[in-house]
Amino acid sequence: MDRYDAVVIGAGNGGLVAAIRLLQGGAKVLLVEKHNLPGGFATSFRRGRFEFEASLHELNDFGPAGNGGDVRDLFDSLGVTDKVEWVPIPDAYRVIVRSEGLDALMPFGKQAFIDKLESYVPGSRLSAERFFELGEQIRAAQAYTNSRNGIVDSSVMVKEHGNYVRTGSYSVNEVLESLKMPQKARDIINAYWCYLGAHCDELSFTHYVSMVIRYITRGAMAPKMRSHEISLAMCERIRELGGDIWFNTEAEKIVTGADGGVEGVILKGGRLIKTRHVVANCSPHVVYGRMMDGVPERIVRATNARKFAGRGFCMFLGLNKSADELGIENHNYFLYDTSNSAKQYELMKSIDTNSAQATVCLNRAHPDCSPKGTSLMYFTTLYMSDCWGDVKPEDYARTKEKVANMMIDRFERDTGSKIRDSIEEISVATPMTYAHYCGHPEGGIYGYESQYWDGLNPRLQMMAEDHQTRGLRFAGGYSMRLSGYSSAYFSGDITGRQTVGDIKKEG
Amino acid sequence: MAYKFKRQVFGFMDLLRFKKMVPLREKKLSEGSAAPIPKTYRVNQTAEILHPGTQSAELVSVESVTADMKTYTFKLSKNMMFRAGQYVTVGHAVGGSFVSRPYAISSSPYAALHEGKLSVTVKKAGFFSGWLYENAKPGDIFVIGDPSGFFFYDGVRDRKNIVGIAGGSGITPFVCMARAIAEGSEDFDLTLIYGARTQADLAFKDELDRLSGDKFRVVYVLSDEKKPGFESGFVSADIIKKYAPASYSVMMCGPQAMYDFADKQLASLGLGGKYVRKEANCIGDRDVKPQKYALTVHIRDEVFNITANSRETLLVAMERAGLRVPSKCRAGGCGYCHSRLISGKYTIAGGDKRRLADVKFGYIHPCCTYPDSDMEIEVPSGE
Repeated sequence: MDRYDAVVIGAGNGGLVAAIRLLQGGAKVLLVEKHNLPGGFATSFRRGRFEFEASLHELNDFGPAGNGGDVRDLFDSLGVTDKVEWVPIPDAYRVIVRSEGLDALMPFGKQAFIDKLESYVPGSRLSAERFFELGEQIRAAQAYTNSRNGIVDSSVMVKEHGNYVRTGSYSVNEVLESLKMPQKARDIINAYWCYLGAHCDELSFTHYVSMVIRYITRGAMAPKMRSHEISLAMCERIRELGGDIWFNTEAEKIVTGADGGVEGVILKGGRLIKTRHVVANCSPHVVYGRMMDGVPERIVRATNARKFAGRGFCMFLGLNKSADELGIENHNYFLYDTSNSAKQYELMKSIDTNSAQATVCLNRAHPDCSPKGTSLMYFTTLYMSDCWGDVKPEDYARTKEKVANMMIDRFERDTGSKIRDSIEEISVATPMTYAHYCGHPEGGIYGYESQYWDGLNPRLQMMAEDHQTRGLRFAGGYSMRLSGYSSAYFSGDITGRQTVGDIKKEG
Repeated sequence: MAYKFKRQVFGFMDLLRFKKMVPLREKKLSEGSAAPIPKTYRVNQTAEILHPGTQSAELVSVESVTADMKTYTFKLSKNMMFRAGQYVTVGHAVGGSFVSRPYAISSSPYAALHEGKLSVTVKKAGFFSGWLYENAKPGDIFVIGDPSGFFFYDGVRDRKNIVGIAGGSGITPFVCMARAIAEGSEDFDLTLIYGARTQADLAFKDELDRLSGDKFRVVYVLSDEKKPGFESGFVSADIIKKYAPASYSVMMCGPQAMYDFADKQLASLGLGGKYVRKEANCIGDRDVKPQKYALTVHIRDEVFNITANSRETLLVAMERAGLRVPSKCRAGGCGYCHSRLISGKYTIAGGDKRRLADVKFGYIHPCCTYPDSDMEIEVPSGE
């Protein structure tokens, strides 16, 4: 039985959702994953008496029951919501830029957020209200675009989604400037930029605002048993729907036929699985660079034109004291050198100048996530160049240690809490770690960068054009919705449904 | 009154800009390089050296270290870099089965990185180590796993001075550390307290003596012999106090009986928690009435009906049946054998080291799980 309607390559967030959508559409599905666990970055690991979250800071756009966001709706329709226990995140974020005297703790809830911003920056209210108003309109426009698979009626767009079209080509900074938002308020409202990995002169406003208002209006949630709980819930759902999941199974080649379209997948070891439809939950660079032969020049050029986004680094600490004892006050922090995101982005190009961090103390959302009297933290940063490519194997451990120390020093200096003497367990993931587990080029964790020309809007509008190879579609952080948990889940939703359509068309 | 966004002097300019986004992206994509898409990247190449995965390696020498310990040296097919104190699995076909065991690496990191040489030093003690001792000869091809485990110095977590406590074949990771300190691939101070029954049971004594210097010191403790130049008895609080520097972290590798004894000694010195780390030992058989159970194993789309024994782990049952299944730490901790329970009752050896969601959704680690009934499980391929 080596024939499937569709093979999903990679059990990351996009691949898992795509597999469920395919099964719901009646397809016979095989999901192959080269690692022995599902989830890609959405996993957890044990060290001593701690179980660390591998990547998720907070799940956006899920929201509590009764104020559910699009991700909750998606999970409902996938049939996985109730398989996972959820805990709410207490506050939106605390952003600290010590050199500028900026230290703001921002709450969830639109009104609370605007009020708090006004208290920090008197005179910011009107611009903040307009920010949220634009955000709601942009969400509506995106829902329309999604419902049309990117092929939209331009008169409807202009008539009903005018502000989406009018803001659609501008960066975050350009729009905030037009809204006459005071600089300090912009600095606070822009703090989420590192979640999208492009600075605010490049990053599309519509993309940014649609993320921010989802966070602020719905609140954020986290699975109680780390993101591994979501990944295993999805696996259970796939099996309930009759899908096959093979772990420790690497897809090495995608076989194409005379029309250049998909005919099968060759697994490591040589076994051929016949299929006419592949969902690749990995980067086009890997698929077109290594897994396929005879790739047309048009695709080679389009692939080479893309820019890799941030390469990941994450330090995980298990501390032998409670968050209260250590003076760790908040759930998640953004610690920057400068609130000018373009300047910060430059500093993040080099190992020696980067200690910017998005840091989480999970106990502040979920007090029992570690044993009584302990706490659990993770510190994430991105590298905006291939600087880890310069690190030789013999210098690797030292380099890890150096950056770990920089991150700890920065956290202690910026927040005033003292954690160094309480480190019972430490684990450090670098771009090499992500390259190893997920195979991403240069250890990237953010897919292709949201450059001004390659942001969310043109990618969504070009979904049909980007579908270049019959039977091959992409899901995950490199695809049309860009990176991040909710984006990757939605990419799987879109790609899975499109592939169901492809299968039905073939009859 | 709805807000209407406008940036350009003439609002239609904002619309025009929007319309140009797709043509602009089309143009940018068409202007990408026509050169072949890279097959790999520098970070990914380094990752291949840090995590080379399972590889074949030729056994190039076998040396006796003591009456019951031998050092097996392999020529790797892929050079690797590891942390001193880590282990690899060494695997080979024995009879109709593929068998592998984790062994601490005794050779230095740079030997593996620069020369592709890797040694393990193994005491003849169990099934596979006994087979190695009797059968392994130069020229044989083995399967070597990824460097693994967390029994290594961490400069952020640990004090700069490490007191190592080694018992029996637990000396091997410390030999690696002493060699690593000497070659500069590790940077910490190690005071090694090495317990054995008699002087003849001490492995690597000449080399350890030779490596002794500023950053590395060694003390021998003989339990069954009194000799000048050696401490005698067990590794007690008094001996630790006598040789340890003022402030230190402890790393231990040896049999469980040694851990039980040393824990008490260290507690009396006020040491525990983050300052004491132990390397895990492989899970052995359990002492219950022998009973046979039917074990159904799914691997991809194949189903195998085999027999499990109540005294042995599910992993051993699968290996005995000749199934090629994942195995690494054999102590329940690394999760490499992560498998899905379909049905059956079981007991986990030692502390349950599974993830919370694994318990919730019914996943087990066969290397530390004994069957208490007929069972059905789904296991990833170990090919």
